[in-house]
Amino acid sequence: MAVAVWLLVGCDSSVPRARVLPGPDAGGPVDPLDALCRSESRDPGRVTLHRLNRAEYDNTVRDLLGDTGQPSQDFPPDDHGFGFDNNADVLSMSPLLMEKYSHAAERLVEAAWAKGTLRTCVLDPATPEPCARDLLRSFARRAWRRPVSAQEVEGLVGFIALARQHGDGPEVGVKLALRSVLVSPHFLFRVELDPAPASPRTHPISDVELASRLSYFLWSSMPDEALLKVAERGRLRDPVVLETQVRRMLADPKARALVDNFAGQWLYTRALDFAQPEARYGFDEPLRQAMREETRLLFQEFITGDHRLKDLLDAPFTYVNDRLATHYGLPPPGTDAMTRVSLEGHPERAGLFGKGALLTVTANADRTSPVKRGVWVLEQLLCKGPPPPPPNAGGLAPTVDPTLNIKERMRQHRVDPTCSGCHTLMDPLGFGLENFDPVGRWRLKEEGGAAVDPSGELPGGKVFNGVVEMRAVVKQDPDLSRCMTRHLLSYALGRGAEPSDRCNVHDIAQQAESRGGRLVDYILAIVRSDAFQQRGGDTEGPKP
Amino acid sequence: MSRLPPLSRRTLLRGLGAMMALPLLEGMRPGVARGASQAPVPRRFVAFYTPCGIHMAKWTPSGEGPDWSLTPTLASLAPVKDDVLVLGGLDNLPGRPDGDGHHAAATSAFLSCVKARKTEGANIRTGISMDQVLANAVGKATRFPSLELGIDPGKGIGNCDSGYACPYANNIAWAGPSTPVPKETQPRAAFERLFADFDPNVTQAELAKRRAYGLSIIDAVRDDAKALQGRLGTTDRRKLDEYFTGVRELELRVNAMAGAGPTCGTAVAPARTEDVREKTKAMLDLIVLAFQCDLTRTCTFMLGNARSQRVYSFLGLSGEHHAYSHHQKAQANYDALAKIDKWEVEQYAYLLQRMKGVQEEGGTLLDHSAVYFSSEIADGNMHEHRNLPILLAGRAGGALAPGRHVRYGGQPLANLYVSLLNMFGVPASTFGDDGTGPLTGLAG
Repeated sequence: MAVAVWLLVGCDSSVPRARVLPGPDAGGPVDPLDALCRSESRDPGRVTLHRLNRAEYDNTVRDLLGDTGQPSQDFPPDDHGFGFDNNADVLSMSPLLMEKYSHAAERLVEAAWAKGTLRTCVLDPATPEPCARDLLRSFARRAWRRPVSAQEVEGLVGFIALARQHGDGPEVGVKLALRSVLVSPHFLFRVELDPAPASPRTHPISDVELASRLSYFLWSSMPDEALLKVAERGRLRDPVVLETQVRRMLADPKARALVDNFAGQWLYTRALDFAQPEARYGFDEPLRQAMREETRLLFQEFITGDHRLKDLLDAPFTYVNDRLATHYGLPPPGTDAMTRVSLEGHPERAGLFGKGALLTVTANADRTSPVKRGVWVLEQLLCKGPPPPPPNAGGLAPTVDPTLNIKERMRQHRVDPTCSGCHTLMDPLGFGLENFDPVGRWRLKEEGGAAVDPSGELPGGKVFNGVVEMRAVVKQDPDLSRCMTRHLLSYALGRGAEPSDRCNVHDIAQQAESRGGRLVDYILAIVRSDAFQQRGGDTEGPKP
Repeated sequence: MSRLPPLSRRTLLRGLGAMMALPLLEGMRPGVARGASQAPVPRRFVAFYTPCGIHMAKWTPSGEGPDWSLTPTLASLAPVKDDVLVLGGLDNLPGRPDGDGHHAAATSAFLSCVKARKTEGANIRTGISMDQVLANAVGKATRFPSLELGIDPGKGIGNCDSGYACPYANNIAWAGPSTPVPKETQPRAAFERLFADFDPNVTQAELAKRRAYGLSIIDAVRDDAKALQGRLGTTDRRKLDEYFTGVRELELRVNAMAGAGPTCGTAVAPARTEDVREKTKAMLDLIVLAFQCDLTRTCTFMLGNARSQRVYSFLGLSGEHHAYSHHQKAQANYDALAKIDKWEVEQYAYLLQRMKGVQEEGGTLLDHSAVYFSSEIADGNMHEHRNLPILLAGRAGGALAPGRHVRYGGQPLANLYVSLLNMFGVPASTFGDDGTGPLTGLAG
């Protein structure tokens, strides 16, 4: 039943069913999840009431009020969960934050009022109500991302009377109403109502709630007028309309939020801001800036371009300026501006593993860390994170003979039986990247003088030599597609992908790959899924 | 809707104006004017958290009781040695994780002494922290029931610690089992929160109006939230409860606005910076200032988040703190840790000296305070939850007899918190998972 529903909502009829859910006779190795997920019913899961995080708050006030001052820089930091800072469960509300919201609301309203953009009509001092009603209805609808009831509007208009009582004009009242809109739970939270709060029943979220899920997924911001209108007319679930909206939104510059907030956290590149490599590596602000831009531009090209998402691993082009090109040992493009260049002849630089940002954030400040790099590949690309180390485990002791290469020095990990289980998994992937120093420069010798040995053997006997062969192994791993889905789904929903989501993840990955495997195919498969369009009942049961 | 009466300590604050003209970062003039009719000088509490443990060999003093010597790590305490208690042999066993995750589990238990539930997601659970118990008891007397400050905003990538959700690693203050109290990590933002509300040029009538407007907004949004309540499930209502708490606290602030505040707003706000040395100094200055103005009586401060990977390049170190803490008995790592530990204690010593420099009726600010310093673990390599590195400075208005090194030989840290709560007039006899009663020997 659930599968049938999913096919109805999720599939364009032009796609042959067999490609979406291949049977055992479809050829190739049979994935045990296939059989399981054909019979398993889907739980869409339940997204907790989601407070806007800092990025979402800033983007929302930018789109609502045209204010680009990023008021959230004075807010306390957001916690993150499951690798993302848009995880609703760990986005708490606190008195401190409430105070910041209140201050920000006052400042934002004053600034916007002074600019005049909110004053769409003239407040007649004698009878200001009709204009105020229009203005406030329209503002609250946008700020609350849904139609507003007449009663709610009258409540807002009531601030004019309050101002009058204190001897102030209607403008003051309207500004108070605007402030109250900005500290209302309807603004600060992404509200998804339960038609029957005590029922464990699954139900579709409303169309305007779906619009918000979509806009906060792709833009980290509120729906724009076009999206909100489609939702209010009840047309957003039409598969053609939904796809059109997704493509339109991805083409909008606001989709840059996916780069900053999704990719920045998935690929760890956000940590580049905090990286402090040793001075001897010549790392400085222009280099940091160029590395950051390179990863952004690369991922940006995947948002709307025709590349398969998996090609992130070996895309044969990148963006460099003279500084970064020199750093990489590529021919400089002759400009300080980031320029798209082909990596033909430099296969080692192709894809994520050749990117300075990633290589720097997965190194220690003073040496490479094959373990960190290996764990990054396992967790972020294959979702096969190793169990945590035993309590007495630690970094590499510096007393080991420095003339040995790091691989030989790390052999001790794998001699100790308590360590070997995980390190035979983690280390080889990191060894494949050993030709990159702690800031991503190509090298043939380690700092101690030993020759780099970038070969490795993975559990199961797969061997490789160097980054080019290593990334081919990773790219062919059947878990890559599901793992990328898992991270993207966690981010899209603002909740962790749980074990119960395995069939959601499996279906989305299959659908995305069958349609071409581009980032947009993944995004479309996600927004068509039950997990995105529905809401599970509250498993905790009714409140006493 | 019920309104609380304006807070009475406002009268007290009126007397503070003159002092506040001094620039914030240049030290406060001792000798705060207090009206003759005032209640006794309040007691204040600070919890100063530092991550990744301490290299205990260079920390632990020789000698006991009043005859003890400063170790290299504690050397900067020399000017305040008689104001400090070194407490050995206290254990926080509820900080032990299930499996791995020592830093996050122990950090959430740092002030709560409650074992954290191992989860990445919705069902976060630890215990209320001791500073928040205190805030609930004494916080109503001040504009801010408590202050939560820190340095590290977090990188926002990856997982925080082996299956423990990030709030466990990033917060020592917990208002309740599932409600971390976030900290401010930007001194300028903290300063503005403390002082920017006060405009000495505003008339009483204008203030009264602002208050009325503010309260009306609060009424409106509270009604919005109430209307929502019945249409949400249990987990969502929990978030909405956090919202109601925020609104209630905001109401207290707005109410307080009607009175004249300290003219602290004329002090110089700290510049925006990410330099850890400047940030730390500015935050510690703010703590002193907040106490001087009696804006709060309870403060927590996190010098880093759990499992900190800060690189102390200004100490000539190139590795990350957490990596060094897994020293594997290598001398080079011990040396690096000792440098970091020493720097951390220097920051604490700076705070103590600043507090000692503030004269109040009947003694210094430090005399009226209890300033607690520790880390979530002792030795970082083994994640040791016993014999934690603990300093307790000040006299807590006579309840503490400092200037000694006391060894306890294995008692729950929670018992120290029972004692501290009692010193502040909170009648606790147990605390956390394993607190059984007050700790003896603190009063000499």
